[in-house]
Amino acid sequence: MNQNKKKVAFPIFSHYNLCIKYFIEKALDAEYIMQPPMTNRTLDIGSRYSPDSVCTPFKSTLGSMIDALEAGADTLIMTLGLCRLGYYGELQEKILRDLEYSFDYINLSEYSTGNPKDYLKALRRIGPKASTAKIARVATETLKMMSYLDEIESEYYKNCGFEIHHGDYKAAWKKFLISMETADSLRDIEDAYKTARKEFSAIPVNKPETTLRVGVIGEYFTSVDAFSNLNLEQKLADMGIEVHRWMSVTNRNLHYHGKTLSIEINDYCAYEMGPTSTANIWCAKHYASLGFDGIIHAKSAGCTPEIDIMPVLQNISYDYKIPILYLTYDSQTSDTGLDTRLEAFYDMIYMRKKAV
Amino acid sequence: MKTTKEKDVQHQPVIGLPNALLYSRYGNLWKCFFTVLGVKVIVSEPTNKEILHLGTEKTIDESCLSAKIFSGHVQSLIGACDYILIPRISNWGRLRNMCTRFEALYDLTCSTFRSTGQKFLSYNIDVSKKITEEKAFLSMGQELGFPQKAVKEAYKKAKKEDDLLWKFKLKSQERLYQSDGLKISLAGHSYLLEDAYFGRPISNYLTELGAIPIRADITDRNEALKHSLKISPTLKWELNREIVGSIQIHRDKVDGIILVSAFPCGPDSMVNEIISRNFQELPVLTLILDAQNGTAGIETRLESFVDILKFKKGIL
Repeated sequence: MNQNKKKVAFPIFSHYNLCIKYFIEKALDAEYIMQPPMTNRTLDIGSRYSPDSVCTPFKSTLGSMIDALEAGADTLIMTLGLCRLGYYGELQEKILRDLEYSFDYINLSEYSTGNPKDYLKALRRIGPKASTAKIARVATETLKMMSYLDEIESEYYKNCGFEIHHGDYKAAWKKFLISMETADSLRDIEDAYKTARKEFSAIPVNKPETTLRVGVIGEYFTSVDAFSNLNLEQKLADMGIEVHRWMSVTNRNLHYHGKTLSIEINDYCAYEMGPTSTANIWCAKHYASLGFDGIIHAKSAGCTPEIDIMPVLQNISYDYKIPILYLTYDSQTSDTGLDTRLEAFYDMIYMRKKAV
Repeated sequence: MKTTKEKDVQHQPVIGLPNALLYSRYGNLWKCFFTVLGVKVIVSEPTNKEILHLGTEKTIDESCLSAKIFSGHVQSLIGACDYILIPRISNWGRLRNMCTRFEALYDLTCSTFRSTGQKFLSYNIDVSKKITEEKAFLSMGQELGFPQKAVKEAYKKAKKEDDLLWKFKLKSQERLYQSDGLKISLAGHSYLLEDAYFGRPISNYLTELGAIPIRADITDRNEALKHSLKISPTLKWELNREIVGSIQIHRDKVDGIILVSAFPCGPDSMVNEIISRNFQELPVLTLILDAQNGTAGIETRLESFVDILKFKKGIL
């Protein structure tokens, strides 16, 4: 193995690290370090070195960066963002440097100048010899991988609560994740996707017509990342609920039509209220008008944009007579506490359905 | 937007200005702009216990203290005017953003007070989408039914007067930095430091203790923006950049810093950390203000901080 290869890592964010790994290794010819999945230890370490009242994803991603450094990474990437997320990179680097870790740091916020070519500069720091053509080709393959992952995951949570043989869906989903992690080419990605689709459709399910449908909306990181939301979607699915979640990198970043969405919600807000506000308000209205039985709004403590859309969500809840459960996660949130609230929510929407 | 185009200007609308959040920054501009147009303006009373109580009841409990105060002011204006002015400000360009709460403020307030039937007036600044302050004021004035030319003139006149007042403020501020005595930089958002119920008592108490509180937010804004990048190259909140830049410019002229933040202020939760890590030669006290009443706790902390500074300076 080439000793000069950079060992690159990115904080764990749901299944997206698989895509980053594919891109870094195939396009930039660097080594990708996959740190272990986040645990309570990750969050503990992250919280210890973070400011108190910062939002929770700051703490978990900082912890995950430390996990990555301990796993041997020498180059960390941090993303840009439109809320506080855009400032994570700089403060986290400062904290890690003050802790005397040594590493190369690529903070994409520094490269978001409005000129997309500047991102290439960031990539060239990892793979100086990578050609633009190769970067573009692998990027397309990576995006394909990502949208397949998001699509299959979405199928998974819609259906896994209704399988007849317990564990069928999980086995197929796990197998799919492994084949994505080991994918070496576009062909592997396509094959894995086709296999997963085939296996999913072969699983016998029993989904009654009166199935409860719940939509999960909320803050980007917390609503998407299963560790951060304490397996919210799995818990709901295990209760026998069809779980829908629109939010994903594919929907929010790859195929996002903010303008269209904002027109559809102009009876609730005149302006874009924050980075994911338009999408979440649209989702809530969409789920409500489809006659869903409930909506769950998940966010980390102190997430300003999500707190700000809550009055709008309350109006949607009032107009469409749809219950919304508001969940706030911080580094202290307990599994049992969440279970209790979800059970109560389930009972309530179940009884409402029976009454109607 | 919920406004009507009235051609017959028989009944001039009355516009209510909530005396919170951006009022500290744009109050003069707004008052002058509307007065030149001949529109009557009313301002809510300075924050008091009652307003805080009204606001706390109306706001999502996880919101910041400043947002709660703001809602209280809006509530106190409901029914007392035709429109309540709430601007929506997103950014002035790259790395010049407002906290997302100012992006959401108009819609969030309209949603909160939907059942009251109150009308709200807004203007939208989003320079990254080429909507400048002047454009924003122009379209607001036209929505109120005024001809473009009159609105333009009113805006120019208001801007000029506001600049004049600001320059005067800056001059007296410079004199404070030149004065002798124990100088403490009060670093916090203008809306919190100027708040009659929360910020003002802090600076008054510091004066009582014999210190000279100097507000970091009153500073040459353009200079401060430039200097902030030396401390933090990706800091993107305009108001925080002004404060950080101002501290950087005056770091040799003050004896200590008091960071004053609303609980739980999003930008401050990170920027306070950057300030404490970057100005290690200066003693820093962090005060987080929440909706609790009672000043004894804060007074004790101010007293001991001033004692430390005096001791360090050899004047205790």
